Amino acid sequence: MFKEILKNLITRKPSIPFPEGFDIPPEEAVKIVSLREKIDTIFGRSLRIRQVDAGSCNACEWECTALTNPIYDIQRFGIDFVASPRHADVLLVTGPVSRQMELALKKTYLATPEPRLVVACGDCTIDGGIYKGSYAVTNGVANVIPVDCYIPGCPPTPIQMVLGLHELLKKLT
Amino acid sequence: MERVLNKAIKIKEHLNEQYIEIKKDDFKDACVYLYEEKHAILRLMFATDERQIDGVFRIYAVFSIPGIDRFFIIVLPLKEDDTTFPSITPDIPTAHWYEREIKDMFGLTPKGHSDLRRLVLHDSFPTNSHPLRKDWNITESDLKEWGEGIKQKEPYKFMEVEGDGVYEIPVGPVHAGIIEPGHFRFSAVGETIFFLEPRLFYTHKGTEKHFESMRLFDGVRLAERVSGTSSFSHSAAYCMAVERIAGIEITEKAKAIRTLLLELERLYNHIGDIGNMCAGTALQVGYANGAIIKEKLMQLNERLTGSRYLRGVNVIGGVTKDVFLQSNDILSTIDTVTREYKEFMKLLLGSVSHIDRLENTGMLSKEIAQKLGITGVAARASGINDDIRKAHPHLLYDMLEFEAHTMARGDVLARMMVRAEETECSISIINTLLESNYAGALAAGINDIPAYSSSLGYAETPRGPVFYWVMSDKDGKLFRVKLRSPSYCNGPAVPFAVHGNIVPDFPLCNKSFNLSYSGCDM
Ligand code: SF4
Repeated sequence: MFKEILKNLITRKPSIPFPEGFDIPPEEAVKIVSLREKIDTIFGRSLRIRQVDAGSCNACEWECTALTNPIYDIQRFGIDFVASPRHADVLLVTGPVSRQMELALKKTYLATPEPRLVVACGDCTIDGGIYKGSYAVTNGVANVIPVDCYIPGCPPTPIQMVLGLHELLKKLT
Repeated sequence: MERVLNKAIKIKEHLNEQYIEIKKDDFKDACVYLYEEKHAILRLMFATDERQIDGVFRIYAVFSIPGIDRFFIIVLPLKEDDTTFPSITPDIPTAHWYEREIKDMFGLTPKGHSDLRRLVLHDSFPTNSHPLRKDWNITESDLKEWGEGIKQKEPYKFMEVEGDGVYEIPVGPVHAGIIEPGHFRFSAVGETIFFLEPRLFYTHKGTEKHFESMRLFDGVRLAERVSGTSSFSHSAAYCMAVERIAGIEITEKAKAIRTLLLELERLYNHIGDIGNMCAGTALQVGYANGAIIKEKLMQLNERLTGSRYLRGVNVIGGVTKDVFLQSNDILSTIDTVTREYKEFMKLLLGSVSHIDRLENTGMLSKEIAQKLGITGVAARASGINDDIRKAHPHLLYDMLEFEAHTMARGDVLARMMVRAEETECSISIINTLLESNYAGALAAGINDIPAYSSSLGYAETPRGPVFYWVMSDKDGKLFRVKLRSPSYCNGPAVPFAVHGNIVPDFPLCNKSFNLSYSGCDM
């Protein structure tokens, strides 16, 4: 491994190649770069997200986890997932909000300091998605807490999530 | 078997399923006979509301005997005015959750069950209201109160541990990591966990009832979304059930594609899981390595199927994409992954501090695993030789050479090593599959689907076997779907595994089981 790092240092090649997903048109790439600047100016260089699973199928969570892997490495934009809502700027909610998670979601929302931004991530959060109409779900996050921004997709890919966060920040200025 | 068959009031054969309908007095006896004398495994147990067909509820207990590719299904009809049935839990502890679930969802009471607290439905759900009954409905205000969770209509009593120095640590449902919601109540003495009581079903989405509003063909999309990281195996099992109802034989090509993608799903999960266990021991470099390999596999998934979770491939009658057209891509990716994976395992097995944390942690004995009906990776790590690919061969599995990998130790290390061996096995299966050509169209033609017929479908997900029992109605819709994910079986194992461990090792133990709450809570 050290040999590899050394080799990369000499050739100045990034140690991990960018994934296919980063093969995006230039205008999209500009968005990702400007994400960093937005976070610098608005949030003092760090945007903290608390993820809340409100009854998702778990694929949306795994894509959040993927954001933090060395390939997407979302931390380099100053974004990170935190352990407590008390430390968070943003709540990222997934799932159609099952009735049995409704109260916990509300409490988490109230435990987040103002201005608590809410990003609803995944098709389920918009209107219940595939679960729309089931007795045990509330058909979308907006029926439980106010939503600032949606990231559609089932699940959205990590790239779509980054772009979604960018949309959120755009709204702020 | 004579003893059971002699008592039958009706026997129905369907492929490898034998339905033995039996009187109430004989029900328990038949089940216990299979379990004790034949060493049968209780695969799943569920109820149906068939009152509109012939006036009864039915309880189904599905057994399979090791070494025999056949399902013995004991069926108990219950008249509407008689809503109790003899509990088999005292003799077959595997049934404990199933029976509680039947009580919640159908209002049929298992008589003799020692724990009749609610399982699926939480405190503020109205009493005497049973969602899976066909004539069930609920008022808007009840729904609202259920969500608000303020009025406790049937308060849940946690078990309390008393004694010097015992204290409780409640955790969840919202946890610190990016994980699914569940509540855990530890009773600890110092750092040691004396007792753990989990309360799950926070992600209960009424999935089984929701299926009933769908057409058979649309059910695939929902099956794909029951448990995210097992999307493909869930939909494969669902499709298999429907195909068996309709008498569709899928082509060799479709079988090969399904087998291949099932193994690709196992691969990305197993490697990811081995990596995630490193997060439990703070071995960051291991965690990162696992995540990189997993990501490469998920990107392969996306190139092959357009979905990182292999969604949108399975349809009733076959598949939509011929992934063999991209076999070069698969081969070269698997090649790189294999190399990196070997390096990765060398790193892990050489990290004494990591292995030391895994060894003797989260011990689950074979005896307890057997009684609780633990399944999949967790069962094999406790020495139970059971793999649905071997026990009930389907797709191309009877033509492939592989072993079910077991370990005797039953600790976290064993669960990691079972995954490691299965990873290598999956790699070799994928390579073998890519060597041949397969004949046939992608999807077979679809026959008419007979009304009110039912069948089982199954697949080995990365966690263990998933079962779908599907019954059609007369208009091409789903009459009843019972789905049983491996996480549902393995949920009750965690408290036993963590007993006597220290609280900080809980995340590690939990990760080694890697339950999908969404799959469990349905
Ligand atoms: S949006 Fe799709 S992936 Fe996300 S939780 Fe819902 S069903 Fe799962």
